[in-house]
Amino acid sequence: MSGPRDPARRRIAVLWIGALVLVLASVGLAIREEALHRAVIVQQAVAQTDVLAGSVGAALSFNDADAMRQYLGALTRNPQVAAAAIYGADGRQLAVLARPGAAAPAMLDTAETQRVAGRVIVARPVTQQGQALGWVYIETTPEGRSAFIARHTGLVILTLLALLLLSFVTGSAARLTVANARLSEEIEARAAAEEALRQSQKLEALGQLTGGIAHDFNNLLQAIHGAFELILGKAGEEKTVRRWARNGLEAADRGASLTRQLLAFSRQQKLEMKPLVVAETIQRMRDMLTRTLGPRIELMLDLDAERIPVVSDVTQLEVAVMNLAVNARDAMPEGGRLTIRTRKINLAGDAVMADGPYLQLQVIDTGEGMPPHVARRAFDPFFTTKAVGKGTGLGLAQVYGVARQAGGDARIASSPNGGTTVTLLLHEASGLEAANEDATPARALTAGARARVLLVDDDEAVRRVVRGGLELRGFKVIDADSGEVALAKAAERPEIAVIDYAMPGMDGAQTAEQLRQLMPQLPIILASGHPDTASIERALGGQAIVLRKPFDIGELSETMSRMLATGT
Amino acid sequence: MCSALRWLKWAAALLTCAAAQAGAAPASPPLEVVVKAAYLAKFAPFVVWPQGVFASPNAPLVLCVQGDDPFDGMLDRLTEGQSVGAHPVIVRRLPKLDPDSGCQIAYLAGSPAQSPAAALKAVEGQPVLTVTDAEEAGGKGIVNLVLVGGRVRFVIDVEKAGQSQLGISSKLLALAVGVKR
Repeated sequence: MSGPRDPARRRIAVLWIGALVLVLASVGLAIREEALHRAVIVQQAVAQTDVLAGSVGAALSFNDADAMRQYLGALTRNPQVAAAAIYGADGRQLAVLARPGAAAPAMLDTAETQRVAGRVIVARPVTQQGQALGWVYIETTPEGRSAFIARHTGLVILTLLALLLLSFVTGSAARLTVANARLSEEIEARAAAEEALRQSQKLEALGQLTGGIAHDFNNLLQAIHGAFELILGKAGEEKTVRRWARNGLEAADRGASLTRQLLAFSRQQKLEMKPLVVAETIQRMRDMLTRTLGPRIELMLDLDAERIPVVSDVTQLEVAVMNLAVNARDAMPEGGRLTIRTRKINLAGDAVMADGPYLQLQVIDTGEGMPPHVARRAFDPFFTTKAVGKGTGLGLAQVYGVARQAGGDARIASSPNGGTTVTLLLHEASGLEAANEDATPARALTAGARARVLLVDDDEAVRRVVRGGLELRGFKVIDADSGEVALAKAAERPEIAVIDYAMPGMDGAQTAEQLRQLMPQLPIILASGHPDTASIERALGGQAIVLRKPFDIGELSETMSRMLATGT
Repeated sequence: MCSALRWLKWAAALLTCAAAQAGAAPASPPLEVVVKAAYLAKFAPFVVWPQGVFASPNAPLVLCVQGDDPFDGMLDRLTEGQSVGAHPVIVRRLPKLDPDSGCQIAYLAGSPAQSPAAALKAVEGQPVLTVTDAEEAGGKGIVNLVLVGGRVRFVIDVEKAGQSQLGISSKLLALAVGVKR
């Protein structure tokens, strides 16, 4: 609230300039009026003298003192005349009239008009038909101070009034400026407070999230840890080992799913948007859903048979449906029914969505429902009604994200004890052929590959596991714990390289680049936990395949086999 | 020395003085006459003559003294170098006044040859400002000089002035002790 840019201050400045102009104008006016007044006084004196000169001729000529005194006497009625006199042609004073304090000169022989000490002195010759008869003289009384003040009081009062008014206006403008400044400060303070509140809310949400995720991961780690412990303990019993290995694998899969969910929420993961048929995806999920819901909840699938394609990421859609199923399960602790319904609808006149064909995916439960204020915030990230550690508040937010990414919307309808219906509107991908493939391809061992693999990873545990997996599938593994070592081992002529992206020293991209210089035809797979796989692919100029961590060995070996087969 | 003789001498001296004074009186005329002469010289600026009276713009303004001049050359001195408008004032002395005398102002002093009344008659209706003296017997001119309270004043006959086609300045009228209309 400072500087010349401030309009209020500028207004005040303008007002003060106005006041200055007003005062100057008043002074100017007064000076002008004073000059006019003086000119009028002079004119009056001159006129009076001329009248006297014009009328006194005969009396002067005939030296009639009485007549001359009469003429002068007439002037005494004019209070402005202080002294008047008549002189002969020789300049001698013939008649004089003088008020106290004024005197006419004894001799006069020049015509003049002058101002001396506030008095106007006028002397005029008296002539008659060209004959100079004598002179007349008039001296005015100087104006008193009171008369002067009286003459200018009006203007002074007007000016003072105007200034008073102006100062009042200026004062109120100044007060307004101050009030404005205070208001701005308060607004800023409020904004800061709101920002701080938001920040604290964010931190609280982060706390909740961290708590929830840590809890989930702990459980998963517990499961994995337990599985390995048991495997270690019963290493000889193949059946038991297999069972616990499966359990551990399952837990790891759930962890991967959780991270995917987080990344999908943060929208940094590369989504694989492809046309797909929702009904088929859900059909495939039936077993998983049944397992998730447990024995107390009946699952009903009411799916359309029209094979309507929508564009979405299969995994994300699956996660969304799973999230909804988990929420429904939690809402029905006493059991109930979960209905998943897909329908083709034609939307028209919707407040939010454009008109057109949509696939409507509804997940309907018969649970406890939620009050409107909860329903309203249900899609907000980190909003959860579950206890700390029980939920991340990301589930429905992820559902909403999936719907938006598919050019649609997610809506929730719920009432306490009236169940909850979550509706996803997914834009129909018209003209696209849904390429719904089996989402769980056989991850069979690719036997007989026998290829030499250069495995580069700074993490020894990862390296050991991957090496084990690959060797199990028949690959010959040359391992290196850094990019430098990998370059040195290039002499062993690997046929394919699997490189971890994030390594100290030379990172995966640099290693890949230098390996390519040595062996231009070498197929390279970069493994990265970084969510932005697209930018890594861009950095490598599309010459490498980026595999997202965590991957399973089956997926890796499959990719490798494919690359070796195609020669890229 | 005989004191009686001394007293006589004193008396004689005084008498001589008185005689000298009495003898000097005709040589310097009385104040009244001087004033009248001055007045005569001063009327002209306050009078307007009809057109055609002056032959040319700078033709002289003739101030005539009819009859016996009582002013003893004073008028000549008073009017010397004087002019009214562009007309120089000249003084002319005439024993008799007639319509063709060419006077603009005429002081009618009278003489055995022509009384003031006769002179008045002679220029009646003519554009001549006739000035008479109330001290003298006879008719009254347009301007009649009178003595009021020992001072010389004048009476103006506006009617006669009108008959003579003369304009008299109101300033002069204001100064007159009487105005006859």
